[in-house]
Amino acid sequence: MDLDMVRYLSQLGRLSFTDEELEKMAGDMTGIIEIMDTIKEIDVTYDPIKDNHNVYLNDLRKDIAADSYPTAQILQNAVNSEDAFVVPKVVE
Amino acid sequence: MDLTALKISDLRSMLDKKELSAKELTDAYLDRIKAVDDKLESYITVTAEAAEKAAEKAQEKINKGEASALCGIPLAIKDNICTDGVKTTCSSKMLENFVPFYNATVMDKLENEGAVMLGKVSMDEFAMGGSTQTSAFKKTKNPYDLTRVPGGSSGGSAAAVSASLCAAALGSDTGGSIRQPSSFCGVTGLKPTYGRVSRYGLVAFASSLDQIGPIAKSAEDCAVILNAIAGYDPHDGTSSKNEVPDFTAKIGRDIKGMKIAVPKEFYAEGIDDEVRKAVLAAADYYKSLGAELVDCSMPSLKYAVAAYYLISSAEASSNLSRFDGIKYGHRSEEGENFAELISNSRREGFGEEVKRRIMLGNYALSSGYYDAYYGKAMALKQKIREEYENIFTGCDVILTPTAPTVAYGVNENISDPAKMYQADICTVTVNIASLPGISTTCGYDSKGMPIGMSIIGKKWDEATIIQAADAFEKNFTRQNASL
Repeated sequence: MDLDMVRYLSQLGRLSFTDEELEKMAGDMTGIIEIMDTIKEIDVTYDPIKDNHNVYLNDLRKDIAADSYPTAQILQNAVNSEDAFVVPKVVE
Repeated sequence: MDLTALKISDLRSMLDKKELSAKELTDAYLDRIKAVDDKLESYITVTAEAAEKAAEKAQEKINKGEASALCGIPLAIKDNICTDGVKTTCSSKMLENFVPFYNATVMDKLENEGAVMLGKVSMDEFAMGGSTQTSAFKKTKNPYDLTRVPGGSSGGSAAAVSASLCAAALGSDTGGSIRQPSSFCGVTGLKPTYGRVSRYGLVAFASSLDQIGPIAKSAEDCAVILNAIAGYDPHDGTSSKNEVPDFTAKIGRDIKGMKIAVPKEFYAEGIDDEVRKAVLAAADYYKSLGAELVDCSMPSLKYAVAAYYLISSAEASSNLSRFDGIKYGHRSEEGENFAELISNSRREGFGEEVKRRIMLGNYALSSGYYDAYYGKAMALKQKIREEYENIFTGCDVILTPTAPTVAYGVNENISDPAKMYQADICTVTVNIASLPGISTTCGYDSKGMPIGMSIIGKKWDEATIIQAADAFEKNFTRQNASL
């Protein structure tokens, strides 16, 4: 896998790498993709209808409002919080 | 008598007869954790104080004659199962300080039973791996040989059971993560049918494959735990409303006439000779008990590892996008803007293997590659399911090795992710097909390392694979771990 592709995938995944890490990741990914490429040999087509056997659309639970967790609990695991999730300025 | 070496069934009877108090039992495990876990490194968090309190409460129930099957039984919990007020790290720096404010449904169920949680045990980071060596905290060792891995990802759970640092444990299984470490550590591990146990509060890896299950000293103990944790949960839309039977019901029943399929591809090249021989010897033993062995074939097995890694990584890349450093989890101190804050937090919080899976998942799902990889993997999933359905028209259960080899050295394979992935060949199809599978020890190699065999069942038929595993265990003497 070339470095441009690795860089592109890292952007998609919101990951950042140093140049050295990128090189290593490219090597690892090449080995992994070789295994994944084995599935190209076999001729099979996905049938979405067949895959619906696990879906019980007539069996959904009723849409009843329930209590939410208290805000203080929701925020307890946020590192930077002042009664809200604090993020860097988004709009310039 | 060493209390910690006993099975749940024995402990239950001693607790009920008041030959032993819940506190004495809990203390025995806590003492053993103190004595040996420095070497084994299975526990990330020991909840001694809470365990003592839970034991007291359990004793009250026992005294009133209200004890259910797990009342007063000390258990270890994999660190990806949310525990109210107790750190749940997933063995990742990303969640190093994460303290859930709610219980996973399985924890509520265990608490209602009066089970005693001893603590949270290590795993591969976010359950991605088969060695527990990708843990950011405790790289657990194998109790049979401390220079070898315990398997993974539920390596802490399996090692703790094997070394008698808990009576039993909960693990989770996405591609073999309960069965393979159970095989490596010489214990019994059960992956239930997808949907049998609620996933609410299990930190998501690959949602269409993940399932919580027990690891214990016997198939019977696994059944007792599955009885406690199974059932529909409105918090998990994929949990099943199917009736939950008593999973111990078939234990002890004659297996005469049971049809056991032996798919040839699972015994082919790549499977260690000693492993193959031990599992085939177990097949012969079943025959001597009156079971009928059936030859069968699963031609798609050679594509299973690729299909599994494409599907699981695609789902993981999506599931793990929630870790942004803002709502919970590690937050970087560097980052001038929103995008930088997120990528720095993820860069610092995730380990190498997790990053590789996110990269692979994004590759499989990205434009121009989707049909060739993810689409093809989903088609293979259907094919593998069909092949299982065909095999099950002629048999009751399927017998395979649990892993191609016994536990390997702690430094082996780690630098070659592609090689590590191939080692999952024996377990991944069970998750792909949503089936139940149980691994139990069927022998030891020339160096004394445990060899595991897997018994795979029809959907919702955990009771039969438990029956088959139990029938073997009843006449098999396990060698104790050296630790």
